[in-house]
Amino acid sequence: MKKVVGKKSERMAAYIFVLPAVILLAAFLIYPALQTVRYAFTNYNIMRPDRITFCGFDNFIEIFQDKDFWKAFTNTLYFTVLVVPFQTVLALALALLISSRRKGVSIFRAAYFSPQVTSMVVVAILWTVMYNSNPESGLLNALLVKLGFEPSGFLNDPDTAMNSIIFMSAWQGAGYQMMIFLAGLQGIPRDQYEAASIDGAGKLKSFLYVTLPGLKNVIKYVVMITVIQAMKLFTQPYVMTKGGPQNSTRTMVYYVYEQGLQKRNFGYACAVAAIFFVIVVILSLGMKKLIKAD
Amino acid sequence: MKKRAIVLLSAVSMMGIMLTGCKDAEERVNADGESVITVWSPSDEPAIEQWWVDKINEFNAAHEGSIELRREAIVRADSYAYEDKINAAITSNDLPDILYVDGPTVSVYAANEIIQPLDDMFTQEDWDDFLDSNKEQGTYNGKIYAIGATESSVALYYNKDMLDSIGVTAPDKLEDAWTWSEFKEIVKALTKDGVVGTNIIMDKGEGLPYVLEQFWISNGTDFVSEDGSTANGYVNSPEGVEAAAFLNSLIQEGYANIDPIQKEFHNGKAATMLGGSWEVATLEKDYPDLNWGVTYFPVADEGIPTSPTGDWAAAVTRDVQDLNAAKEVMNFLMSKENVATYAQAIAKPPTRNSSYEVLPEYNEYPRSLFKQQLMETGHPRPRTPSYSVLSASYAEAMVNIFTGVDPQEALDEVAEKTDRDYQKYYAN
Repeated sequence: MKKVVGKKSERMAAYIFVLPAVILLAAFLIYPALQTVRYAFTNYNIMRPDRITFCGFDNFIEIFQDKDFWKAFTNTLYFTVLVVPFQTVLALALALLISSRRKGVSIFRAAYFSPQVTSMVVVAILWTVMYNSNPESGLLNALLVKLGFEPSGFLNDPDTAMNSIIFMSAWQGAGYQMMIFLAGLQGIPRDQYEAASIDGAGKLKSFLYVTLPGLKNVIKYVVMITVIQAMKLFTQPYVMTKGGPQNSTRTMVYYVYEQGLQKRNFGYACAVAAIFFVIVVILSLGMKKLIKAD
Repeated sequence: MKKRAIVLLSAVSMMGIMLTGCKDAEERVNADGESVITVWSPSDEPAIEQWWVDKINEFNAAHEGSIELRREAIVRADSYAYEDKINAAITSNDLPDILYVDGPTVSVYAANEIIQPLDDMFTQEDWDDFLDSNKEQGTYNGKIYAIGATESSVALYYNKDMLDSIGVTAPDKLEDAWTWSEFKEIVKALTKDGVVGTNIIMDKGEGLPYVLEQFWISNGTDFVSEDGSTANGYVNSPEGVEAAAFLNSLIQEGYANIDPIQKEFHNGKAATMLGGSWEVATLEKDYPDLNWGVTYFPVADEGIPTSPTGDWAAAVTRDVQDLNAAKEVMNFLMSKENVATYAQAIAKPPTRNSSYEVLPEYNEYPRSLFKQQLMETGHPRPRTPSYSVLSASYAEAMVNIFTGVDPQEALDEVAEKTDRDYQKYYAN
């Protein structure tokens, strides 16, 4: 291999090329992030930038007594814990279904991937219509009633609202992970399957002992990005439920938006955002460690 | 050498791309030395957009050499995009000269000194001509901060054929308006064959306080105290809880849908609807086959007749430089003639008494009913600097009540959140 670090002038050029990205990151990511931490310790109301006063840990003390915050926190965890395995298994199942080289498979591949390229706002509005709690007008409830079940409240029932969002989110998001799994499946050498079948392994056994171990790294990667994405859940509650009913779909990011922009409680929102940031960092580091462990 | 030039060129061009993102501050004087007055208002239907184009041309032609009027149409959609834009402009001291704001948010902007009192912006004769409901909604702390060209009202639309089928005629006099008990009996009888008795606005947003606050007022209370400083003992008072329980009973007993389809009433799936004055135009234009009528907003059994009011209104911001030019523009936008033409274009009731002389349709049913409500029973939304918190918390609480939370508990939370915001930012 050629040595990467070359002449001085080339190194100079590299820095110049990196510079715009660094400036952009600094201006739109690092600086705002630092500002967020600063405002977290103030009583900044977005209407009064002239009256920002330092208020110490007041916001944090208030947050720890704020039951809406804790509900948002547990909702976010609940969503993540449920959507990650569900979406990953769904994506893997879809990938297995279309990995064969049969005719017409490409149509299904496009179909399964299409929700992913549709805007989440559009998807959310469509699902809101399908989830309508009235069997007269909601597609899913009409189906339930036809099959002899009781209609469900879906988004209007605090017991089912989050699960409804989980289901549609997995449906929307699985296409992307499916593509990654598909690439992973193609990376498993054919001869391993042949060897397994010679040894008398059936479909299930070759899946358990060849496919899964072969996909180990891909699964780790998929789980990790899905967790981070799930923690950031915002669009679905924003479009479909406004965090309700009864707080059942309020998430951390939605709470930051609600407090900061809607209620103009900017300092408070910054404090929530800062806590959220710490949680995500801990989660990412923890997962990295787990993945490295084996 | 050539290589280095390419590197430098690409780096410079990338920096250029980054910098084009920055926008110049609001221009206050143009190249011809004219004062520039910028207006921000939400983008609207084609008829209104055309009204703006025509009027701006007219104004600029008449003021050549002194004032140039500009307008920025800002997409409002259903969300807070418009407010977000204002928030950003507040932080960067870059507000337009004239800002259109929604009625109940006037107090929020006034309390934070974003907009300034209009005081002598109009002559006494003009002030007298504006409807009281319009001035009231624009008032904060005894001063008028915003004035609009149009008003709104909500009344009870009904499907005539369905009402005939149960042998009921809708009242045509204000004093005969249905009481809550009568209203409930009627919607109960109307609920059959896949049709619900009534439609309650379920937008999970501003629509809920806009329409439903009247149930509080009619029952002898309100959302907040007169001075806007406290919600506790008002929104969650026994009368308020009773109002919430009444509305909830309509949902729980199946006379109204918690999840209504779009245009439920228009499509014959709801027999009645508490709908805005603007629905008249929609129904006339797009649903010619629907046999409908409209009657007064229902009144609490022992209560007073009420109806919602309020619409977007123009305010002068703190960042204005040429106040006289702004005054000129305000007088132009709110002139007798322009209030009438604007109201006509947007199909909403105008805010000047004199405009009704040139808009004869408001002397005839059904529009006359909205005019009568505006003049006799209109109540503006609460005037409190904590309105944003109140509105969002109230909308959330109503959805919670409709899904099973105890009304007292849900409304206590609204009062607590609203008062906490007031105490934190406005109490002293």
